[in-house]
Amino acid sequence: MSRALAAILIAMLLGPIAWMLAASVLPENQIFSGAPIQGLLHASFDHYRALFDERGFLLPIRNSLIVAGLTTIIALPCATLCAYALARLPMRGKGLFLALLLAVSMFPQISVVAPLFLVLRATGLIDTYPGLVLPYVTFTMPLAVWLLTGFFRQLPRDLEDAALIDGASRLRVIRDVVLPVAAPGLASTAILMFLYCWNEFLFALSFTFGPEHQTVPVAIALFRGRYQIAWGEVLAGAAVATLPVVIVVLAFQRRIVAGLTSGAMKG
Amino acid sequence: MRWRIALACLMCTVLAACSGGAHGRHLSFSGSALGQEGALIRTQLARFAAQHPGVDISVRITPDAANQRHQLYVQWLNAHVPEPDVLQLDIVWTAEFAAAGWIRPLAIDTTDFFPAAAQANRWRGVLYAVPWFVDAGLLYWRTDLFADAPASIDALRADATRAQRERGVANGLVWSGARYEGVVTVFIEYLAAFGGRIFDDDGAIVVDSPQAVRALTFMRDSLGEQGFVPVSALSWQEEQVRFAFQNGQSAFMRNWPYAWALLQDPQRSRVANHIAIAPMPPAAGGRPSAALGGAQLAINRYTREPELAASLVEFLTAPVQMLERARIASQLPARRSLYDGPDLGRALPMPIADVRRALDATVARPVTPVYSEMSEILQVHLHRALTSQEEPSTALHGAAREIRALLDRSGLRGAAS
Amino acid sequence: MIAHDRRTADSRLARLFVAPVILIVGATAPVPIASTVWAALHQRDLRLPWLGQPFVGLANFVEAAGDRRFLDAVLHTVMFAAMTVPIELALGLAVALVMHRVQRGRAIVRAAALLPWAIPTVVAALVWRLVFDNTTTMFGFDWFSNSRAAWIPIAAADVWKTTPFVAVLLLAGLQTIDQEIYESARLDGASATRQLFTITVPLLAPAIVVAAAFRTLDALRLFDLPYVMTGGGPGTATEPLSLYAFVALMERLRFGYGSALSISVFALTFLVALAFVRSLGHASRVEAS
Repeated sequence: MSRALAAILIAMLLGPIAWMLAASVLPENQIFSGAPIQGLLHASFDHYRALFDERGFLLPIRNSLIVAGLTTIIALPCATLCAYALARLPMRGKGLFLALLLAVSMFPQISVVAPLFLVLRATGLIDTYPGLVLPYVTFTMPLAVWLLTGFFRQLPRDLEDAALIDGASRLRVIRDVVLPVAAPGLASTAILMFLYCWNEFLFALSFTFGPEHQTVPVAIALFRGRYQIAWGEVLAGAAVATLPVVIVVLAFQRRIVAGLTSGAMKG
Repeated sequence: MRWRIALACLMCTVLAACSGGAHGRHLSFSGSALGQEGALIRTQLARFAAQHPGVDISVRITPDAANQRHQLYVQWLNAHVPEPDVLQLDIVWTAEFAAAGWIRPLAIDTTDFFPAAAQANRWRGVLYAVPWFVDAGLLYWRTDLFADAPASIDALRADATRAQRERGVANGLVWSGARYEGVVTVFIEYLAAFGGRIFDDDGAIVVDSPQAVRALTFMRDSLGEQGFVPVSALSWQEEQVRFAFQNGQSAFMRNWPYAWALLQDPQRSRVANHIAIAPMPPAAGGRPSAALGGAQLAINRYTREPELAASLVEFLTAPVQMLERARIASQLPARRSLYDGPDLGRALPMPIADVRRALDATVARPVTPVYSEMSEILQVHLHRALTSQEEPSTALHGAAREIRALLDRSGLRGAAS
Repeated sequence: MIAHDRRTADSRLARLFVAPVILIVGATAPVPIASTVWAALHQRDLRLPWLGQPFVGLANFVEAAGDRRFLDAVLHTVMFAAMTVPIELALGLAVALVMHRVQRGRAIVRAAALLPWAIPTVVAALVWRLVFDNTTTMFGFDWFSNSRAAWIPIAAADVWKTTPFVAVLLLAGLQTIDQEIYESARLDGASATRQLFTITVPLLAPAIVVAAAFRTLDALRLFDLPYVMTGGGPGTATEPLSLYAFVALMERLRFGYGSALSISVFALTFLVALAFVRSLGHASRVEAS
């Protein structure tokens, strides 16, 4: 693939983000004027300052990180084990199980919100971290299981079979043989889950009451006044909000690479 | 070390238990609490708390985007949650929440409030919410282009066209025509200007009357190349409209009072000190009009502190608090008597006499629990007419038919005001 | 171990592995879903309590079938999916190849490629609204007041946001392809394009189908972007099915009808999902044979 094509692609992906960053340092009335370049002469970090001084933006970032992190930490192992069982182990009714699981995740959030609110309220989980983590885990699990099942099925059985014949127990096989090779799939799924929580708006808006537990999308939604959107702060908030994600993703990069090399050496 | 921690925990628990005993009563308020409004409401709530020892009040921030706040209220009230005790409602939500049994009837004297605003908060004759601050749709005009506000719809058209053709202004008039509640508020002003109504006094639907068709035809013809309103206004909400006027790109603007302070800021606005306001002028057979909006305060039906909540509502709508709101947040008080004295003129940056004229000319939207659905029907049909997908008469007949079906389905025929 | 013992042990292990998922999903999901189904079979308008909550069978669904706005919404939804998914697959593959092949600055390039996905959807919607509003100022064509054109900004935002997601799915697949296959193809004289179409795409086929499945299902449930960008306008031209269901539920408070609409969304996505599962099963059977 030519370098030029690669550069174009990356530019397309990053273009709007660059625009966003540029606009976030413009004074408010320049943002819609169609000429951000000229406006950059008046650039300032006012919006960023307002973000932290007036809006206390660190709080929603912290909440998003906690909720997304907890969801991923809880859901990924459960989904991985379940997917492995569906891919490799004998079980009755696999098809039905997968279908039911899929049905759950296909259910539109919008209709689930009101009854789920009632359930969470009855269990006293409204405006708590578990109150968000539980729905998130429930709704990311099916897709994760589906994805990982397909992924496990695709892995060649030779390595596992060889280890099993050698006398290793199933659990050891999973830990030492399967997981390292499955690392790319696991990392992809983890990123998927993390970003689902990061982006999710409807549940976060409905199940939290105050800044103590509200996540980034909700906080940004609160920047909208009755008629006005505090554009400068929304853009600055978006810029700041992507930073933790970039760091997390960079961390996962190493996982993918590490998983591959260790798998290659074992194989 | 561990015993220190244990002791600290014990002390905290004891303190919490003590404070729980002394401050047993708690009220929660939900509404606009961003920026200046946030600081203001907290000050006023603290003042109330100071007058009621033993009471502690908290603010629950809800998004200002109307549909998001509405969704949250629906969820909470449907779940019979006791908090927030006092809710800030949009003017079109009162009938809906009252019919659903979610807010309490109020025994508050409303003679001092603007009659249209108070009436909009009655459902089946009972008062369910109190006007807190009012909004009225205003026609903003440029004093550097015109000597006077237009006295009639035709004068408006002539002035706007002239400004566009001869004075080099990009647009004659701008209004919020996106497919949302805003376009309905614009429409009802034209409707009243031409002498039309949505419901007549007997509760029959007359939104497709000849006057209404004339009003909608006027709106449609004012759009585009042959007219004086840009076609892009059909996707604009209040802010884009404001920017157009603020950047000097329009001779007239129809918008809400909130824009005044922003337009008068010489740092950002090209039209600062060159603006004035007026209600929408009448056509022959009509009257000056200003769409009625604003916020109301209501009490959660499931509150644990009904009398206290009622006191809070009375407190927040008392003249002193309303004047403070006018001064700090530039919001228009809902009490008529405040417009007679000199204090409001000093508090508000807007010309009081013109504001008063507009508030006296307000036209309310239908007060019915199914208003949001009715509004949707109107929005869709208005947009079809304005984008020339349908003739205005077809669009309005369609709207009338659907509204009738809606009222029949809801068991409300003849009950709307 | 004797095969039979292994099988029993494996069975037991399987049940153990599957248990956490069953527990968690089983605790949270059934009540809201059952509640939605129940509501869809009843007439329930929160604003009109005097009408009660009578059982009306399939009346809500019958109403939907005759509701022009519902049919328009279905059309919008299906066409949106048909329009965006192929683009996302093609672009996603391209980005995955870049992420896979680049050697220098690999981590940075990968993180950069994932950025659009990391931006909260509501912000992406606002940003793209800003971008297109700015082009209106520059070129004079107003996207958002044109019923057909208003879909373009929404599609652009969706493609931009989800291409990284497709890329990540495909990247995982790319990394399991044995490099030696490319080596021997290169030695045989195959060009890069040829390699792409005869090696990469066929070997990635299962991953591509999975990506297509996920994207199609998400596209059919499209909600956030039009909700924030256009509110479904102009008129109802950009209103997908989920948004209409949301309006019915939260703005009109017609919980019965809104639930029926939600179930329609579900039915649509579930049927499509089943179709994908069938084709995936078919593909893996073909592969195995």
